[in-house]
Amino acid sequence: MAGVLKLLLKPIKTIKKFSLLGKTSFIVILLILLVAIFAPCISIHPYNVSSGPPLSPPGGEHPLGTDELGIDLWAQICYGARVSLLVGFLTALLAALGGGLIGIVSGYLGGWTDKILMRIIDIMIVLPDLPVMIVMAAFFGPSLLNIILVLALFSWVFPARIVRSQVLMLKEQGYIKSAETYGAGAWYLIHRHFLPEVFPLVAVNMVRLTGRAVVAEAGLSFLGLGDPTSKSWGLIMHHAINFAGIYFTPFWKWWLLYPWLALTLMVISLAFISRELEKMADPRMGR
Amino acid sequence: MNKKRVTRLAEYFFTVWVIVTLNFLLPRAMPGDPFLYLSSDVGEEVIFSEEQRQYYLAYYGLDRPVGGQYLSYMSELLRGNLGHSLYYNEPVSHIILRRLAWTFFLVIAAVILSTFIGTVLGSISAWYREKWLDKFLFFNLIIMSEIPAFLLGLVLLFSFAAGLGLFPLSGAMTHFAGYENWWEKVLDILHHAFLPVIALTIARTGGMYLLSRNSVITVLEKDYLRTARAKGLSEKRVIFRHVLRNAMLPIVTRVFLSLGSLVGGAILVENVFAYPGLGHLMREAVMVRDYPLIQGIFLVVTICVLLANFIADFIYGKLDPRVNDYSETYGG
Repeated sequence: MAGVLKLLLKPIKTIKKFSLLGKTSFIVILLILLVAIFAPCISIHPYNVSSGPPLSPPGGEHPLGTDELGIDLWAQICYGARVSLLVGFLTALLAALGGGLIGIVSGYLGGWTDKILMRIIDIMIVLPDLPVMIVMAAFFGPSLLNIILVLALFSWVFPARIVRSQVLMLKEQGYIKSAETYGAGAWYLIHRHFLPEVFPLVAVNMVRLTGRAVVAEAGLSFLGLGDPTSKSWGLIMHHAINFAGIYFTPFWKWWLLYPWLALTLMVISLAFISRELEKMADPRMGR
Repeated sequence: MNKKRVTRLAEYFFTVWVIVTLNFLLPRAMPGDPFLYLSSDVGEEVIFSEEQRQYYLAYYGLDRPVGGQYLSYMSELLRGNLGHSLYYNEPVSHIILRRLAWTFFLVIAAVILSTFIGTVLGSISAWYREKWLDKFLFFNLIIMSEIPAFLLGLVLLFSFAAGLGLFPLSGAMTHFAGYENWWEKVLDILHHAFLPVIALTIARTGGMYLLSRNSVITVLEKDYLRTARAKGLSEKRVIFRHVLRNAMLPIVTRVFLSLGSLVGGAILVENVFAYPGLGHLMREAVMVRDYPLIQGIFLVVTICVLLANFIADFIYGKLDPRVNDYSETYGG
């Protein structure tokens, strides 16, 4: 019980050390998370069925107005938060697990395994990810699962590199060496010594990966290549910008503005949080 | 050519081979086959007789073993044949060549502008470290660096083009414009490219700024700078000969390493401004399900990015003779 409490207290202590900007960002993300969780309760209107006159400006029954089909925008934004967070978090989780594992293997085994894995990472880093995602979406159909898989495929290299360099450093430490001479096996070392040391760094990196994935999903949806059944923020913007005459009417003042605002707030907040965390994990970065 | 460089070159060839092979395998891994596609597209059911099926299989070479198909695909590719576009009914390579220049134009302009502005601001910031100017620049550029280019592009489009009417809403040139002279044409092209380039530049400047600020700060702390000053060299000479020259190295690598993400940004920004480059073409191709065209663009874009990185490797080796093990430049 005490262990669980300690685990819960640690993040709170970390957040207390944030700068004002970091704290604000954290509150923004928390709010988006709450909106996503309670989307069915706080949106009065359905997010997929028309519930009023089309293109009505904000105010009255529809706090953020409606789109061209008369669907409530506030409801769409609430449910869109779910898509963004889901894609972001699952991608980061997959990439952290896969990348972490590869990093440990690469760093611990060394030799040829390490060489080959490092070369693959070098290649993955320079490849442009958006064209690959577009091709995959075109060939295998745009589903959220495909998007998450492709994003994870392009994201694991970052945690892998971090973990590898950390394991390389740890391997030379005296206590690891002595553990080895006492007969500690690979699994014991990974489990007892590497994972606890490496976990905070990967957790920090996950915030950045989440941000990247959110942007990538929004970009794909904005192109019209996202999952058409999920009402993500990018998809709302896609519909808005493809509406004939959007430039010559005032509709963009709510139809495009609010999803834009939600997305920008989320991306910037995630970036600030990860910046603060990186600064704590590595004091050299913050100057 | 030392051994390191040869292995590096081999790696690049291997990567290109992987991408080309992937490009060959993708349509074959896709659910369905060409006949399913043909018969589902017309609206009413078209059933191919077995004879017709055999005829078309032979016509497209699909009856040969996959290995043979692969070989002929490779040899066609080496001759520059990227296939035939279904929608435009034209060789894919011709269509891509027409559009490639626009994307190059946007990307190169953004690279030059953002690198220049970022480096200058970063150096200023490092020079006035911890003063108000540094803090002001740092805060603003960090925010700018985190907003994706296409979201910035949307703001620019709706404020400067749709709202104020200062810039055109879409395209790269005015349609059916009779230009009096070449100067007018250049102005028109610049006018159209201005907002997309600015969007890409702003999104990139932050990263370049942070990197050059860090890099200059690191150099400023070095002993040889104290030596240079003690020798009585002028400040100007210290800055240009000693500080900037040494601080430039990580900036050069970064310029090329981040090209991949810049290309991704350019694809999205082109679609915001309906700019007729490869990114816009790629989306059009996806929308009309023109698979050969999608594959052709994918191939050209990735190989261009790889080529740029190879050049970066080469330049870096020339700039910094200390680098003999490439992995060191990444900080391992």
